[in-house]
Order: sequence, then C-alpha cells, then structure tokens
Amino acid sequence: MSEAHGQAGGPQIEVDNVAAAGAGHIIDPHPSWETVAPDILFGEGPVWDPRNRQLFFTDICGDTIWKWKPGSGGEAILKPSAKANGMCLDLEGRLVVAGWGGRTVFRIEQGGSLQTLASQWEGKKLNSPNDIVTRADGSIYFTDPSGGLFNVGMVQDDLQRYLDIAGVFRIAPDGRMSLMTADSVYPNGLCFSPDEKLLYVNCSRERLIRVYDVKPDGTLGPWRLFFQYAHPERGNPDGMKCDVEGNLYCTGPGGIWVHRPDGRVLCRLKLRGHATNFAFGDDDWKTLYITMVGSVTRTRLNIAGVPSLK
Amino acid sequence: MAWAFDLVAGPYRGRTGGLAWDGKAMLFSAVLEERIERFDPASGKTGTFRKYTGRTNGIAIAADGSVFGAQEGGRRVIHFLNNGSTAPTNDLLDGQHHNQPTDVAVDTQGRVWIADTWNAQAPYGPPVYPFPDHASVLRLERDERGAWRLNRVTSDTRGPRSVRLSVDERTLYVADGDVERDDACTLRAYPLDGDGRVGQGSVLHAFGAGERGIQGMCLDSDGNIVACGGWKKNGPGPAIYVFSPDGRVVEKQPAPADWPMRCEFGDAGRDSLYLTTGGGHLYRAQKIGRKGAPR
Repeated sequence: MSEAHGQAGGPQIEVDNVAAAGAGHIIDPHPSWETVAPDILFGEGPVWDPRNRQLFFTDICGDTIWKWKPGSGGEAILKPSAKANGMCLDLEGRLVVAGWGGRTVFRIEQGGSLQTLASQWEGKKLNSPNDIVTRADGSIYFTDPSGGLFNVGMVQDDLQRYLDIAGVFRIAPDGRMSLMTADSVYPNGLCFSPDEKLLYVNCSRERLIRVYDVKPDGTLGPWRLFFQYAHPERGNPDGMKCDVEGNLYCTGPGGIWVHRPDGRVLCRLKLRGHATNFAFGDDDWKTLYITMVGSVTRTRLNIAGVPSLK
Repeated sequence: MAWAFDLVAGPYRGRTGGLAWDGKAMLFSAVLEERIERFDPASGKTGTFRKYTGRTNGIAIAADGSVFGAQEGGRRVIHFLNNGSTAPTNDLLDGQHHNQPTDVAVDTQGRVWIADTWNAQAPYGPPVYPFPDHASVLRLERDERGAWRLNRVTSDTRGPRSVRLSVDERTLYVADGDVERDDACTLRAYPLDGDGRVGQGSVLHAFGAGERGIQGMCLDSDGNIVACGGWKKNGPGPAIYVFSPDGRVVEKQPAPADWPMRCEFGDAGRDSLYLTTGGGHLYRAQKIGRKGAPR
C-alpha cells in the first residue's frame, strides 16, 4: 500500500442536497480530497488513534487490519484478521475489533496478542459482529447481523447462523455480555450522541436509523424512528458517527448523509464509489477518513467529530 | 397414463428448488425462505432440516450423510455438516470468484459437480468481485491434504442449470442454457473416463428458440434422464420429460404447476417422483411406473 496524493483516481466528493443554510458549517461546497490507501479490496472499520496520530482500518476482503500514518504510509498489523470489520478504541486506547467472519469480538493487547471478548450468546455462536463503539464507562456495544456468514469473500470457517436474532450487545467493563435490543433485522452502524444519552443504530435492510434513550445503567429504552431512507440511489445505511454538535453522519444512498439531531437532512457528501464507513481524525478531529470499496480517502470538515478515545 | 401429482408441502414464499432423498424422507430447498425442508412420507409431515441457507438451491447428500448445497445467495457451494455447522468450500477458480452455483451432484469419490451459472438475483453483499466471462460446470475435489481444489470441466456451456452423473459415472449430463438470457437450451452429455476427465460433449436434445428448457433432472433405474422444465409462456408448456440415455424422448408428462424447478425420486420403493416449482410447491406423484437410479 502506498500513500497517494492528488486528484487522480479514487472517489470524488461533492456536497449536495443542501436542505438548509448551514451546510457550510459542516464542509466547504467543493471539498478537496486525498486517497490515503488506494490498493485495498474493501475498506471498513476506520478509527483514529490520537495518541500515535495514526489511522487504523480494516480490509475485510483482504483479511487485514492496517495502520496508516501520515507521512509513513500503511502497515499491516494483523493478517489474517478474521475478516475484521468495525473497530473502536477502548478506554486504554487498545483496538477492539468486530470480528465479522470469525464471529467474535476481540481486543488487540498492547503487546499484540489477541483477547476474545465475546463469541457466543446463550450458548450459540454469534452471527458476525459488524460495528462497535465504546462508551465512557468502558462498556462496548456492537451489532451482530448475519452478513459475515453469507457475503462473497467475507466468510470464514463456519457459515451456519445459529441465532434467530440479530442483536445489539453490550460488553460491560467486567466482561459480562447482555442483549440491548433485537429490533433490527440487520443492525449495522451504531454510535452514541456526544453526551451518550442517545444510541443510534441503523438497519441496512430496512434502510433506517433507530434512536434509543440510554439509561444510566447502559440499557436502552424503546426505539424511535430517527430517519427512513427512501432515496433511489444505491447504498444502504452502514458506518455512522456524530460530530461534536450532535449532528449524525451516516453512509447511505450515494454517499454520507449528515442529519441534524432532530433527523432532518443537513447535507450529503456525495461520493463517487461505495463508502462503507468513516472516522473523524487528526489533531483537531476535523479530517474525515472515509473507507470505501477499493480505497480509503480523506477530506477536511469545518466541524470536529466526537473523539474516538473517551 | 398421466402421473397423478398431489401437493404434499407448500406453497412456500417464493420458489422451491433442489431435492435429495435421504433414505427416509425428501429434503428440498425453500430457496427464498432460506431453508432446507424435510418431508417425511411416513407421517406426511414437513419439518425444517436447516435454516439460514443463504438461498441454497440444488442439494446433494454425501456418503456420510452430510449435504452439499448450491448457495446462490453466497455465490459458493457450502457443506452442511452432520454436527449442524456449515463449512465453505473453495469458491475461487484460478483465483477468481465463480458465478452463482445453482445445482450440485456428488460422485462416489466424494467429488462435487457444480452447475455454476448466472442468476437474476444478485448475491449477498456489496458487488466487490466481478463475474467470470463463462458459465461452466465446475468440480470440487480434495487434494492430498484434504483441502478443496476447484476445476472447470466444461468449456462449451452457456449457463448450466442442472448436473447429474450416470450410475456408472461415465457420463455427465448437463441441462444448459437460460432462456431469459436468450440462450439456446439443451440437454448435453459428456463422456467421463475412469479418472473423471471430461471428454467432448454432445447435444442430446435441443429445445426450440424461446423455450425454457430443463431446470432440474434426476435419473431412473433404467438410466433414463427424468427432466422437468418448460413454462406456460410458450413452447410445449410445463412438463416432465423422460429422455433415454441417447436423447430420445420416451415419455412426457404435464407438470402439475407452472415453472417446474427440480425433481427427484423418493419413498420406500423410490417409485414416487417429487417435484418443486416456481410457485413454492412440493408435489409428489406416486407409483409412476419408474424407479429412481441406485444411489
């Protein structure tokens, strides 16, 4: 993998669907962009490591977890990777990984060893953990749809689905796992609001975002519909994150949609190519690193994202 | 005399597909419900053999009772193991992903013959991998270390939809062509040598332009090919053909519903023919005067 700069190749970013004044608060109307990883198969799981000023991301089909450092380029840190998908940092800055094809959630210890955090629910193998977030209390929430048992080029050793639910699970700081919700048929991206009083969970099949009140003990109240996508362009809800003002960003039809906290569309970053996920990064948290099918690219925003390290 | 078909299971949501007789009951795919069902003729009841099959269509039972499935949705052949897990096989042909297998057959050496064809319904997941420029019969076999090796064994097929082997495993029968892609539909035969090498194929039967041709087939105890296909849209209509090994039509029966999909012999004497359909049925005609080929 090499670092590539400039405008040739990769996705082109435009800003459209400006529903109201205020899009300029998010991003310039003609943002520049830069491809940082041009040679991957299926980018996912981006997370910015502020301590070491580097980006981690996964290549699911390439079965690799990558580290990319500005000026230094990319380095594979885990291959094979259990077809790793979403990733986040825990309170100690360790990578916690949704092991999509391998059907586990695992942590990469500071020394590089792997620690399994979850592999079963009620005695049955998980489906295929997809995306994952950390809460300030140290608990970890992850989605468990079934795509890692079926998708071409993304499966591992056992393709049998055993669970009749596709859950959102919580791993408490003491390691205990509990089911938060099984409302979605295909829960995918998830993220907390900046104050962690809300949890957003999207569903790729239903093409919608649910929002839940988060109780002090970390459990969830009943869901409300946050947004239903009905746009004809290709693309379903996938990666999802919030900026510091509580605007919710979600990969969806044609690119990354930016929603106000009340759900209304603020703008869309229209992308040429299939965006899967993204992460806020760099020292000011105003760079948006976007994982795509085939590449990772980045652009600058005018607003900071919620930091990845609590 | 016309075969008398009775509806014994279904209709399911969407098409039913591949069938396999397990010695006591008939396994069949409810393709879009993503299940393999099991009809027990002794009780007349149908239960579920396996859930979450990923749009598996054609199925075949191996010597150890495990089941291979053509997983159209996952673009691979999968192996339903007896412990309840499901193993992948090798879905890379010369390093490239193949098409969407729709039918499978297992030979006495445990090799898996695959009808690997186009499918109108896209596979699961983002379209990362391009499709090959051919649709062929493929074969999986274990290498010396037990890993699956995948080979292409036909080079003249347009879109194989069903594969079967003669009892002596010296002939490979292929139902080829997808009328909805404007293919000419044919029943083809390929000689096999003792090592399984595939020789030059020949056309046993050619269907007329625009006819749907054969979707599924099985063999009877005389070595005839019992094949279902056709549709109400045109041509001779939905039917079950009995072809002699040299391709003559020795019997033809109307199908009980449109879009016949696949057929297989079953029941204690293996003298009943089971049929799946595009409408999601499982039909059975008892004592049709033919028996299934030895398995």
